[in-house]
Amino acid sequence: MIGGYMGKVLEVDLASNRVKKYALPDRMLELYVGNKGLGARLLYDLLPPSADPLTEKNVFIVTTAPLTGSGAPSSNRFNITTKSPLTGAIVNSNCGGDFGIHLKRAGYDALIITGKARRPVYLKVDGDDVSIEDAAELWGLDTQKTQEKLPAGTGKIVIGPAGENLVKFASVISEERVAARGGVGAVMGSKNLKAVIAGGDQKVRVAHEEKFKNTCKKWRELSRRHPATGEELPRYGTAAFVNKCNATYTLPTRNFRYGTFSEADAVSGETLAEKYLVKNIGCRGCPVACGRQVELNGKKIKGPEYETVGLLGPNIMNADLSAIIEFNYQADLLGLDTISLGNTLGFVMEAGEKGLLITDLAFGKTSGISRAIEDIAYRRGLGDDMAEGVRFLSKKYGGEEFAIHVKGLEIASYEPRGAVGQGLGYAIASRGGCHIAAGYPIYLEANGPITVDPHSTIGKPGLVILNQTTMEAVSSLGCCIFTVYMFLPRQLIEINARSRFVSKMIRSGFLYGGNLIGRALSLPAWTLPVPPPFFMLPQVKAHAHCTGRRFTLGRLMELGKRVVNMDRIFNLREGLTAADDTLPARLTEELQRSEEPNSRVPLAKMLPKYYQFRGWSSDGVPRSKTLKALSIEQEPSLPGAAADSSGAAIAGN
Amino acid sequence: MVEVKLYASLRAAAGEKRFLTEASSVKALLREAKERYGNEFAAKLKLATILVNGKNIAHLKWKNTRLQDGDVVSIFPPLAGG
Repeated sequence: MIGGYMGKVLEVDLASNRVKKYALPDRMLELYVGNKGLGARLLYDLLPPSADPLTEKNVFIVTTAPLTGSGAPSSNRFNITTKSPLTGAIVNSNCGGDFGIHLKRAGYDALIITGKARRPVYLKVDGDDVSIEDAAELWGLDTQKTQEKLPAGTGKIVIGPAGENLVKFASVISEERVAARGGVGAVMGSKNLKAVIAGGDQKVRVAHEEKFKNTCKKWRELSRRHPATGEELPRYGTAAFVNKCNATYTLPTRNFRYGTFSEADAVSGETLAEKYLVKNIGCRGCPVACGRQVELNGKKIKGPEYETVGLLGPNIMNADLSAIIEFNYQADLLGLDTISLGNTLGFVMEAGEKGLLITDLAFGKTSGISRAIEDIAYRRGLGDDMAEGVRFLSKKYGGEEFAIHVKGLEIASYEPRGAVGQGLGYAIASRGGCHIAAGYPIYLEANGPITVDPHSTIGKPGLVILNQTTMEAVSSLGCCIFTVYMFLPRQLIEINARSRFVSKMIRSGFLYGGNLIGRALSLPAWTLPVPPPFFMLPQVKAHAHCTGRRFTLGRLMELGKRVVNMDRIFNLREGLTAADDTLPARLTEELQRSEEPNSRVPLAKMLPKYYQFRGWSSDGVPRSKTLKALSIEQEPSLPGAAADSSGAAIAGN
Repeated sequence: MVEVKLYASLRAAAGEKRFLTEASSVKALLREAKERYGNEFAAKLKLATILVNGKNIAHLKWKNTRLQDGDVVSIFPPLAGG
């Protein structure tokens, strides 16, 4: 067996109470590795085409990766993949909670849930023993109480009332971490599945133990010594970006009307640390510990991340950090994605202001928001419409030009008119308006330590491709996306800051090299037979020692490209087209600032080149030779025993 | 006057959020800041990103960028998040 894997997946059909346990083909693991990549392949193979996401036909997949539970730093991620009820596209929602570790301890690399239970249930996976338990006593409880009622010492994923009520942007919670985006919680709710718990005593076996341990030790050291992951992120959390984005006109303000907020500092990571921070909290085994525990009104609770602050703060003109902390806590208890929530509130406020709908919600006013959040979770009054997301609201009430979403997924907290490559990334991202699936090019355009011209389109398609490809690959290895920050090592940042000439060379490498990089990425893996520099991408060496498989820079890039293309052909099969690779008119047509003539996203200038570099047709369809080069089979094939309609019956509802 | 805003660990090293200066260039401003806040601050400046009115000095005239009355200079250490 390949190192890092447990050797089997668990498939549970909630309709028939039958389970199957089977091994995935080695070839599938080699090509798609784990987490996001493996989830994409399994969904493509197992989901009946055009299935309604909130029916029993949808498939809910939890994947892990070889590094999950291996002891590697910042790598205990698991991934939820399903068809999104919010977008109709693929959604892969990544989470740092400990469920993935426990799923592997139970002996499984992945969990696949099909069908729909007749009444509320939870799934219990205790090593080989799998049972479907009655969840009548859990149904209706918030996510914290649900986790408290379930057995201690197990890994858990749970939904709150929002998931039960099929809110289209309901989240899934594991410990205090969230798989937030795309309505994965609603898919669990549609299956009457309140929770899954997993536990066992199996250990993750790595192929080269000594080498692996040494690599992880060096990796931890690198992470600690890096100025971003070793100092700023632990000290100020992700919300340190509030002030940086504000300074670079990329902080969404007043429903993405502006990119700066005059009171940004009041809701920044610095203020959070100064006034509310109790201690850092982190995902299991992570040396960064970027999470926050804060104290509010005598209660110690989880503090908000950058995304939440941006969208429940400046985006609704709210400068009250204590209110943001409260809204974030409430959304986590109810099981709601705070990115979609902040956008939905912003849209309703603007629509109300323009007389398109009647609401008491208004920019700059915090009263009524807590009630609105509850109304969304329980689908009461206007909350019932808000629970469908921004796209639905704009179609029903009007205001599509300021409905801030892509493919139905509300846009994350980066205003792309201040970084146009980020706009391209959003437009093309497989799951919609997601900063991660966009490739996060804004880091090299506006908010990172080395940045190219944020308003120029030169080199941006290549830059987006490089970023997307790297991040999709790293995510498939099971690592936190924040491990990619080491891609800009301390020495490079220091050299860049020291000399104008060197800085220009580095930036030219990114900007003008962008197109070259785009083309270079179309080369096969064997043309890059070397490992990437350890000080930039230590994950790759750790993965190689964990699995015992040779893993080069070429294979890393190929993995990333494969995942992007896999997502793409899934979306095309489900009826999405190039017309969905777009942005709201506010971002492409309205100038963000009258004094900056380039402060809108010239998407049409960048998109054709992106398609070309990806090896896609002008309609955004991957060419058959592109798929062939990446060994992507277009014919769905059920993995292993999944093709077998039998399975062991288990006790159940 | 030029307003200089400090963020994250640079703010902590300086012990204040902002200061006002009459420096006529970024170079002069940085010299003044180092004298004002000492060695720890100066060490962190080696990795800093400097923006003048929201524009990175890398896209202006680097440390020779001229400063005028009313300009806002923002100085950040390398950040991460998202």
